[in-house]
Amino acid sequence: MLTQFGATAESLSKASTMVFRIGTDAHLYDDPDDANIAPLLDSKFDTEKCEALKRLLALIAQGFDVSTYFPQVVKNVASQSLEVKKLVYLYLLHYAEKRPNETLLSINYFQKDLGDPNPLVRAWALRTMAGIRLHVIAPLVLVAVGKCARDPSVYVRKCAATALPKLHDLRLDEHMDAIEELIGILLKDNSPSVVGAAAAAFASICPNNFSMIGRNYRRLCETVPDVEEWSQIVLIGILLRYVIAKHGLVVESLMLVSNALMKHNSEKEGLEPHNEINKPHNGTRFDLCTEIADIVSRSYLQGPDKYLSQLGLVNRESLGLDYSHATSAKSNDDVKILLQCTSPLLWSSNSAVVLAAAGIHWIMAPKEDIRKIVKPLLFLLRSSYSSKYVVLCNIQVFAKAMPYLFSPYFEDFFINCSDSYQLKTLKLEILSSIATDSSISSILLEFQDYIRDPDRKFAADTAAAIGLCAKRLPNVANTCLEGLLFLALSDSSNKDDASLGEEEIVLVQIIKSIKAIIKQDPPNHEKVIVHLLRSLDSIYAPAARAMVIWMMGEYCNIGGLIPKMIPTVFKYIARHFTSEAVESKLQIINACVKVLLRAKGEDVSELRITVGYVLALAKCDMNYDVRDRARVLKNFLSHCRGLHDSEYVEDQTDFKDLTRVLSEYIFGGQAEISSEPFSYRFYLPGSLSQIVLHAAPGYEPLPEPCSLVGDGFDPSVRGTSSLGVRTTDSEPNDVDTDATSGSMDEENTSDYDSEDSVSGSSTDGGHYTDNVSDRNGDEEAGALIHLSDSAPTSRNHLEASEGLPSSGLMDFGELMSKRALESWLNENPGSSQTSSDAGHVQRSLARLSIKDIGQLVKPKSYILLDPANGNGLGVDYRFLSKVSNISPELVVLDVAFRNSSTGTMSNIMLSEEDVNLDSSDKSVSPSESSNVTREVPSLVPMEEISCLEPGQTENRTIQVRFEHHLLPLKLALWCNDKKQLVKFRPDIGYFIKPLPMDIESFTKKESQLPGMFEYVRRCTFTDHIGPLNDSNGESPVKDIFLMICEKLTLKMLTNANLFLVSVDLPVAATLNDTSGLCLRLSGEILGRSIPCLVTLTLKGICSEPLEVSVKMNCEETVFGLNLLNRIVNFLAEPTP
Amino acid sequence: MLQCIFLLSDSGEVMLEKQLTGHRVDRSICAWFWEQILTQGDSLKLVPVIASPTHYLFQVVREGITFLACTQVEMPPLMAIEFLCRVADVLTDYLDGLNEDLIKDNFVIVYELLDEMIDNGFPLTTEPNILREMIAPPNLVSKVLSVVTGNTSNMSNRLPGATSSCIPWRKTDLKHASNEVYVDLVEEMDATINRDGILVKCEIYGEVQVNSHLSGLPDLTLSFANPSILNDVRFHPCVRLRPWESSQILSFVPPDGQFKLMSYRVKKLKNTPIYVKPQLTSDSGTCRVSVLVGIRNDPGKSIDSITVQFQLPSCVVSSDLSSNCGSVNVLADKTCLWTIGRIPKDKAPSMSGTLVLETGVRRLNVFPTFQVGFRTMGVALSGLKIDTLDLKNLPSRPYKGFRALTRAGEFQVRS
Repeated sequence: MLTQFGATAESLSKASTMVFRIGTDAHLYDDPDDANIAPLLDSKFDTEKCEALKRLLALIAQGFDVSTYFPQVVKNVASQSLEVKKLVYLYLLHYAEKRPNETLLSINYFQKDLGDPNPLVRAWALRTMAGIRLHVIAPLVLVAVGKCARDPSVYVRKCAATALPKLHDLRLDEHMDAIEELIGILLKDNSPSVVGAAAAAFASICPNNFSMIGRNYRRLCETVPDVEEWSQIVLIGILLRYVIAKHGLVVESLMLVSNALMKHNSEKEGLEPHNEINKPHNGTRFDLCTEIADIVSRSYLQGPDKYLSQLGLVNRESLGLDYSHATSAKSNDDVKILLQCTSPLLWSSNSAVVLAAAGIHWIMAPKEDIRKIVKPLLFLLRSSYSSKYVVLCNIQVFAKAMPYLFSPYFEDFFINCSDSYQLKTLKLEILSSIATDSSISSILLEFQDYIRDPDRKFAADTAAAIGLCAKRLPNVANTCLEGLLFLALSDSSNKDDASLGEEEIVLVQIIKSIKAIIKQDPPNHEKVIVHLLRSLDSIYAPAARAMVIWMMGEYCNIGGLIPKMIPTVFKYIARHFTSEAVESKLQIINACVKVLLRAKGEDVSELRITVGYVLALAKCDMNYDVRDRARVLKNFLSHCRGLHDSEYVEDQTDFKDLTRVLSEYIFGGQAEISSEPFSYRFYLPGSLSQIVLHAAPGYEPLPEPCSLVGDGFDPSVRGTSSLGVRTTDSEPNDVDTDATSGSMDEENTSDYDSEDSVSGSSTDGGHYTDNVSDRNGDEEAGALIHLSDSAPTSRNHLEASEGLPSSGLMDFGELMSKRALESWLNENPGSSQTSSDAGHVQRSLARLSIKDIGQLVKPKSYILLDPANGNGLGVDYRFLSKVSNISPELVVLDVAFRNSSTGTMSNIMLSEEDVNLDSSDKSVSPSESSNVTREVPSLVPMEEISCLEPGQTENRTIQVRFEHHLLPLKLALWCNDKKQLVKFRPDIGYFIKPLPMDIESFTKKESQLPGMFEYVRRCTFTDHIGPLNDSNGESPVKDIFLMICEKLTLKMLTNANLFLVSVDLPVAATLNDTSGLCLRLSGEILGRSIPCLVTLTLKGICSEPLEVSVKMNCEETVFGLNLLNRIVNFLAEPTP
Repeated sequence: MLQCIFLLSDSGEVMLEKQLTGHRVDRSICAWFWEQILTQGDSLKLVPVIASPTHYLFQVVREGITFLACTQVEMPPLMAIEFLCRVADVLTDYLDGLNEDLIKDNFVIVYELLDEMIDNGFPLTTEPNILREMIAPPNLVSKVLSVVTGNTSNMSNRLPGATSSCIPWRKTDLKHASNEVYVDLVEEMDATINRDGILVKCEIYGEVQVNSHLSGLPDLTLSFANPSILNDVRFHPCVRLRPWESSQILSFVPPDGQFKLMSYRVKKLKNTPIYVKPQLTSDSGTCRVSVLVGIRNDPGKSIDSITVQFQLPSCVVSSDLSSNCGSVNVLADKTCLWTIGRIPKDKAPSMSGTLVLETGVRRLNVFPTFQVGFRTMGVALSGLKIDTLDLKNLPSRPYKGFRALTRAGEFQVRS
C-alpha cells in the first residue's frame, strides 16, 4: 500500500516537471532509444524524420555510437526541410570520417545545394562538404570553394574562407597552390568579414607567405577595425609578423631599447654594464628592468628554449640583436599605420582582442607609447573570471620588464577576498615587482592585512613578497624587517596546537624572508638577529628554527652584541639538542663548528666544551645523517683546533694546511652567492605557451627581423613556411620526424617541378620531331593511324555530335542524379538515358585507331634524391608500365642510381622504413588504411648495388606497394651504411594496368557504369599549339587532326598506364574544328581488376587551346575521381 | 584552434559533445578532467587553462555548468575563454537561464547554436542578433504550437540580411509599432576598506545598457555631461571610435533589443554610501563580534537590499549572533549572512554575538572579510550624467527613457 503510494507520488512529481518540459526535446534526451529509429528515418513525414534525427543526436551527445544508421540518415540529405537538412548535416559531420564510402553518396546533394538560390543552403552545403574531410572528395571541395569564393553572398564567401583550413588539414600537397591562390582572392574581398575569415585561413595554412600580405598590407591594416572581433586577433598577429619580417624591429621599442641601453652603458662605463639591474636608483634608470627586457625580446624572437640553451654556451654580447635590422616607428609608414589601426582595438569589448592589440603595441610601439596599453589591460581585470587569470599572467611579464608602466596603478592589484589562490599569488608577484618608494608604504599596509587572511598559504606568500619588496627597495628594508619580526614573534606567541600545521608554513616563510633581507646587509640588521635568538624558544617550527640557528652560525662575529650572546645561546641549544628535529640538529652541528672556528678570546674554551657536548650527543643520535655529520665535523675540528690553539705558526703539515683551506672554504667565507639566474620563460604575449610556460605545439616565435627581401617571393621563406605549417598540424609527439620529412618533402616537390619541365621538353619535344621526320620519310610503312571504319559520316551528323561535349558541360550534380543514386542503392544499375545517347552519337562518327604509339611513350622520371642532399648520390625513378609478377598490388618502378660525387659508393640499398614511423603515417589516414591488406610488403627487397663508381649510373627495377594512391611512401635509402629517408610520390596513373578491349565492349562496359560511377571534368589542352605554329600551317588538314590526336594520346600514355581503345576523328565540315574528336582509353585497377574507362572529347578550333572534357567511368568512385583529377591536371599542364 | 567542446553538469556528467575538427577528442578527457577536480579540490575549478597529458583544456564555469574546450596547438587562450563565455551568454539568453535540465531539454538548439557559432574550431557567427534570426529561441508560444501542430522547426530558412550588411549587428528592415529607446546606467561599486577603517580603494564599474526598439536604420548620438571622469572605456562594436577620440561622443547604429553599449570605470572615489564597521575581539576561547552598519553619505535615493556576509574562520566551533534589524543566518559552509534590507529611520542596524573557538585556540589570529551588498535605484554613484541622446534617421519621434542603478560589486570590509 505504502509503496504504491510512493510510486504514485513519484510519478506525480514526474508529471509536474513534465508540464514544464512540454514542447522541448526533453523526452528525446531522456529516452533517446525508446522508439524504433530506423523506420522513423524512412518515414515520409519531415516531423518523424526530425524526431529520429534528434534521437540520434541525443545519443551522440551522450556518447553512444550510432554510426550504424548512417546509410538511412544519408538518404535524408535530399530532404527539402531545412531542419532535417541541418540535423542530417550535424550527424554527417560527426561520422563522415568513420564511414567514408557511404558519405560519398551525399556528395551530389551538396553539389546540388551549392547551386541553390538560398545563400544559407549554399553555405551549409559548403561547410558540411568541407567538414567531411575525405581525401577523395577534396578536389571536388576545392572546386566548390573556388566557386563559393566568388559567390554574391558575403556569408557564403566567408564560409568558403573557413572551409580552406579544413581542406588544408587533409595535407593535399598537390592542391597547395590552388588553396593559397584562393586565400589571396579572399584576402582581397570587399567585405571585412570575409577578409577576417581569410586571415584566419591564412594563419593556419601559410602563415609565412608574407608576399601575399605585402600586396594587401595597407588595405588589411585599414580594415582591421571593421573585421569581426575573432578575426581581428588573428589578423593583427599576421600583420605584426609581416612587419617584423619586412622592416625588422623598431628602434625605439622595448625590444631594442634594452639593447641600446646596454651598449650605451658598456661604452660609457666600460666595466659594469649591468649595474642598474639590481640596484635601481633614482629617476629614469629605474623605469626599465634592462636585463629582463632583454631576455623578453630575445625570447620573443628566438623562442625561449633556443635562447636559454644558447645562454649557457655563448657570450651574451655576441648574441646582441643586430642593430642594423631595425626600423623606426617615426619614419616607417608601415609600422605607423599598424600601430594607428590597432590602437582603437584597445577599446574593444572582447578581452582577447584587447590583449592581442596590447601585445602588438608592446612589441612594436616606441617605449614612450607603450603606456597606452596599461589602462585597457587593467580594465580587463574587471571582465570574466577566467580571463582575469590569463590577463594577469601577461601583465606579470610586462610588469617585470617595465615596472614603471604599472607602478602608478598598484591599487588595481590589491587582492579581493573572492580571488582564487592563483590570482592572489599572481597579484602579489606583480605588486612586489612594481612597488616604488612612493607606493611601498601603501602596499606594505595592504600586506599587513593579507598576513591575516584565512588562507594561510596566501599569508605565507605575502611574507615572501614582503621579502622581495625589501630586496628591491633597500630604503624600506628596515620597515619590512620590523614588520616581519613583529609577525614572527607575535605569531609564535599564539602557540596553539590546533593551528600549528598551517601557521608553520607562514612562520617558515617569514623567517626565510628575514634571512634574505639580512643577507643584503648583515651588519645593519644585527639587532634583528639578536631578537630572533632571544625568542628562539618560541619559534617552534623546525625549519624556522634551523634557519635561525644557521643565521647564528653565519653571523656569529658580526657587530658587538652577537659574539657576547653566543655562549649563552649555545648552552641553551646544547641543552635542548635531543628534543630538536633532525633539520635543526644538522644546523646546530654546522653552527657549532662555524662559531668555534671564528671564536676569539676567552670564549673559546667554554665554547669548546659545549661543542664537544653537542657532538657527543650527536654521535649517538637516532638519525644516521646527524651521526655522520657529527663524526666528520669532529674529525675536522680536531685538526683545526690546533690552529687556533697555537699562538704562533708551527711547522704545518700539508694536511693541516689543507684543512685550513677547506675550513675557510666551507665555513669561513661569506661566499658570494650570485643572484639567482633568471628562470623565466617568456613567450609571445597572449599566447597559450605563455600561460602553460612551455612551447605548445605550433608555437612560433616572431620571424627573423628583415628576413623578407623586398616584396618578392622569397623561396627560403617558403621553405620554412611549409616546415612551420607541418609542425603546426602534427601531433605533439611526432613533431621531429614530421618536420624533417616535411623539409625533405619540400625539396622533392620543388625538384620534381623543375625536372618535370626539363624532361618534358627534352623527351617529348625530341620525340615529336623524330616522329614527324619518320612519318614524312615513309608514310606507307609505319602509319600510326588508319581508318578502321570506312563508313563516312554526313555533315548533318556533326550537329548531333554537339550532344556529347554539352553533356560534358553538365554539372556533377546533374550527372549524379537522384535516380542514379536510388538505382545504386537498389543495386540494380540499369542503362541510363545519357549513355545510350552517347552510343548513338558515337556510331555516327568516323573511327580511327592508333597502334604502336606505345613505343613512343617515355615515362616521366622523378627525382627521389638530389645529389646535393645525398652526398653526391642522385636517385631518379620512373614508373614502368610493366605488371608485377609477384603480386598484382605492386607497382613497378625503375630506379636509376647515379654517382655524381668523386668517391666510390658502396652498399646502396632501398629498404622498408621502421615500422613505427610507418604506423604514424597510417594514423593520418585511418579511413584509407583499412581497406589495404597488410600481407603484401611495401617493398620487394631490391638487389643491393655493392659498388658505384664516380659517374656511373646503375638501374634497378623495384616493386613497391603504396599504402594509398595519394600518400607518399617512405622508404629508407642506405648508402655507405648511412640511412636517409626518401619518399616515393605515387602517380595514380600507374596504379592501373592497360585493359585491352575493343570498342564494342568498351561502350557496353560504359553503359553499365552510369550515374554514380561517371564523372566529368574539363580542362584545356595546349600542347598542340607549339608544333602547329612551327609548321606554319603548311601541312595538310588531316595532319592537324592526327597531330592533335597523337599529342593527346602521347600525353595520356606518358602519364597513365592505359590502353588506347579507339580514336574517333570527325570528318569535319570546317577544316579546323575539332568538335567530335574523341579518344577512348581503358585500364584496370591494379590488384582489383576493376575497369576504368576514360573518354576524352575535344571541342574548339585547332589553332587555339582545345577544351577537353574527360569522362571517367569507374566502379571504384574514390579511385576514379582521383585518377580523373590526375588526368585533368596533366592534360592542362603545358609541355613546353 | 579548438578541437572539441564539452558541456559538463555539476556532477561531472558529459551532457553534450561537439567535435569541431578532424582531430577527434575522446570524451575520456572529461573523465581525466573530473578526476583532477575531485583530487585537487575546487581550486582547480578556478584555473581556466589546464595542460592535460594530451590536450590543453580551457574551462569556464557558469551556474554549475562547465564549458570545456580542448585544443592541441597554440592558440590565444583568451580567445577560447572569451568564446566559451559568449556561448554561455547566448545559451543563457536562449534558454532563459542555465542549468542541467535546460540544456538537456533543449539539446537540439544547443547543437544548432554551437554549429553556427563555431566552424572548424574558429568562431563563425557570434553576434546574438544574427543567431536569433537564424535559430529561433524557444518560447512558450512556439512550444505550445509545436505540441499542437507537431511542427518543431526552429530553423530559419532565410539567411539573416545582417550577415551581408556592413553593420552585422542589426537587421536591415526592422519595423516597430512604437519607437522607443531606453538607456540605463548600471553601476557596480567596488570598494576595499582595510582593518583600520581606511578606504583603500573605491571605484565604479559601470555599463551603459541600451534597449532599443527602433525602426529602420537609426543613427544615435549619446553624450555625457562629464565624460572626463571616465577612466577606462570599452565599447560595443557598433560604436564609432573617431567621434569618441575627438570629442568623447558616442555615435552608433544600435542593434535591436537589449545590448551593452559601453562599459567604463571611474576610479578613486572618495566615499561610499554606507559604512560597515566590524569589530572582533577574542580572548580565552571566545570571540565577540559586533558589526555596525549605517549611512555615511546619503545618495539622495533610498538604499535597499543591504546584506553583510562573511565567512567564519575555520577555528570557530559555534556561533551565537543576533541583530536588531533584519535576519542573521549561518549557512552550512560557515558563511554568515546578515540580511538587512532597508535601513530604518529610527535605529542603526547592528549585529552582535559571540563565536566559540576550538579548544586550544585562545585567540583568533585570522580575520574574516565582510562582503557588503546594497542597491540604490535612480542614481549613478559615479556621478556620470547623460547629457543628450540624439536620434537621426527616424520616421517618427521616439520615446526616450533613462534610468540609473548602482549596486555593490566587490565591496569588502576587512576586520
